[in-house]
Amino acid sequence: MIHLRKIFPPAGWRSFLLCGLMLFFAGCASAPLKQARSDFYGGRLDRATQTLAEPSDVSKRDRLLFFMERGVILHHAGRYEESIAALLEASALIKDQERISAAEQAGSMVTTEWITEYKGEYAERLLVHTYLMMGFLLADRPESALVEAKQALEIFNAFPKATARDHFTRALIAHCFEINGEINGAYIEYKKLAEQMADPAPVADKLASIAGRLGFYDDVETWRQYLEPAEIGPEQPMDAELVLFVGQGRGPIKIPRNIVLPPSIRFSFATYEDRTRYFYQPAVTIASKAGPVRMVTTNLGAVLKDSLNERLTRILVKETARAAAKEVIAQQIDDPLVEALVRVAFFLMEEPDTRAWETLPAYLTMVRIPVGGAGHELAVRISGEYGGTVRLPPVNIIPHRRFYHYSVRDGFAETPGDAAAP
Amino acid sequence: MRKQFHVMGMPLVLAILAGMMMAGCSATTRDFDPTDTIHYDASYDFSDKNKIVDALVESLSHRSPLAARNDRPVVIVYDVANRTSEHISTDLITDDIRQRILETGKARFVNKVQRDNIQKELSYQYGGDVTADTRAQRARQVGAEYMISGTLRSITKKEPDQVRLKKRKLQYYSLTLELTDLESGLIEWADSVEIVREEAKPIIGW
Repeated sequence: MIHLRKIFPPAGWRSFLLCGLMLFFAGCASAPLKQARSDFYGGRLDRATQTLAEPSDVSKRDRLLFFMERGVILHHAGRYEESIAALLEASALIKDQERISAAEQAGSMVTTEWITEYKGEYAERLLVHTYLMMGFLLADRPESALVEAKQALEIFNAFPKATARDHFTRALIAHCFEINGEINGAYIEYKKLAEQMADPAPVADKLASIAGRLGFYDDVETWRQYLEPAEIGPEQPMDAELVLFVGQGRGPIKIPRNIVLPPSIRFSFATYEDRTRYFYQPAVTIASKAGPVRMVTTNLGAVLKDSLNERLTRILVKETARAAAKEVIAQQIDDPLVEALVRVAFFLMEEPDTRAWETLPAYLTMVRIPVGGAGHELAVRISGEYGGTVRLPPVNIIPHRRFYHYSVRDGFAETPGDAAAP
Repeated sequence: MRKQFHVMGMPLVLAILAGMMMAGCSATTRDFDPTDTIHYDASYDFSDKNKIVDALVESLSHRSPLAARNDRPVVIVYDVANRTSEHISTDLITDDIRQRILETGKARFVNKVQRDNIQKELSYQYGGDVTADTRAQRARQVGAEYMISGTLRSITKKEPDQVRLKKRKLQYYSLTLELTDLESGLIEWADSVEIVREEAKPIIGW
């Protein structure tokens, strides 16, 4: 007769084995994600997309990161429809993840956060819709961009503190309303943006113009106060508006922080660390008739830090509960050797969850340039560590079409000195 | 006795668990009648599309001006604008409405979607490879008398944050359709269909 005690070791050893397994899994960050990020920043965009070809290339826990990283890489490779497909998967997954998994949460209470599915910071969830809006506009699907704008608004409303400083996304939402002829919605969003910005001048022209169309003549005067005298006068709208989305630098990454209490209690948490420290306003040169260049910028590092801070209380409560649970388990082991090994394993296992969307830029700027005439040539010069000049393909203004969109990004190690946009 | 249960009972429990897992993992398919009403959640689905089309076709074909006309006026269908917060293909709605109105015999439709292909085919016919007596004649296309257009809107209301086991959401959809006289610019017919549905999803799962 088989004796089960011979097959299964005593409780202490079982705990130790379990810890070993968890430690093994916790250390298994999806290698393809790291490789794809390295290829992306090395300027090898095709190789990066090949590395992240199938969702099964990464662990199920990192599936959201797979879609987010793939979406951004494809976006900057100029493959907008494929980028949209990946980011729509990310958006659907975020909705599915609204349900809390009891098994996953219970498991992470005695092990590590790494065993849970990555759900994205609040700002990252918003940025999925930001990139979708840009993608749909670049793919000339403005109605779908408006759908994403409405979904982005839901996140702004759900997490107001965490997302308040994302001016770029708010400007993009307003633009999506405007381009679809929903000027009431556009006015509301431009107004919210103006209230959040230290200086509303970059959107004052839009507010004055839309207020006039809506018959809010008092508001027209209010917003005109922020415009240069030369910009006020008999309104002669330009033929079209060029809208550039400029991504600069490398977004922040999460780094581990630790607090150790004797004998073996370890509190660990992640904080964001900037990879690009200085912002240089992009310089746009245009060799034809154009109006004033207006820009709205988001410092993504600041927004992501706000998001992490919003979750801070919840993170600390869970950390404390986990430390207590581990201490209780360790104290119940009779064998001193096994107890010591389990304590070591628990200590090592307490690795903070440093997963983050790492292909994001450090800054996103929306540049608006009103233009007159039929043809235009544009160049965007970005200063800084990874800067360079990007020449845009010649713009041909078509009658009855008002808006033209372009996306530009630096942050690659091998950004050529004079490159053409995809 | 206890040891015996441990040894013999454990494989039995494992076998039952394995069986349950296998049963849960096997793929199944089943067919539905497209006219059945089926909702998995509060979001827009094919049952809603059917309800919208049924109601609007009934109204359009039984009210003036189409009901009063016996000469099958020519109509062009423009897109239904999607103003919801979901990616919804409104082509399905307009395609179905066009097909159902055609079946009633109350109107004829200009094929707007295939305009480019019609031009291409006519150019081919006049390119020299097609005999003159079988060519479709140019400048004989029929102009539309009416235009159909519409807007699909939605409002979502979520239950406020509070301690609870289920998350509730109220979803409202409204589709408004209009028939415009292209000569006068007057809206000759308009109707709308509304759908309101509540969804309750558990917050905690396995």
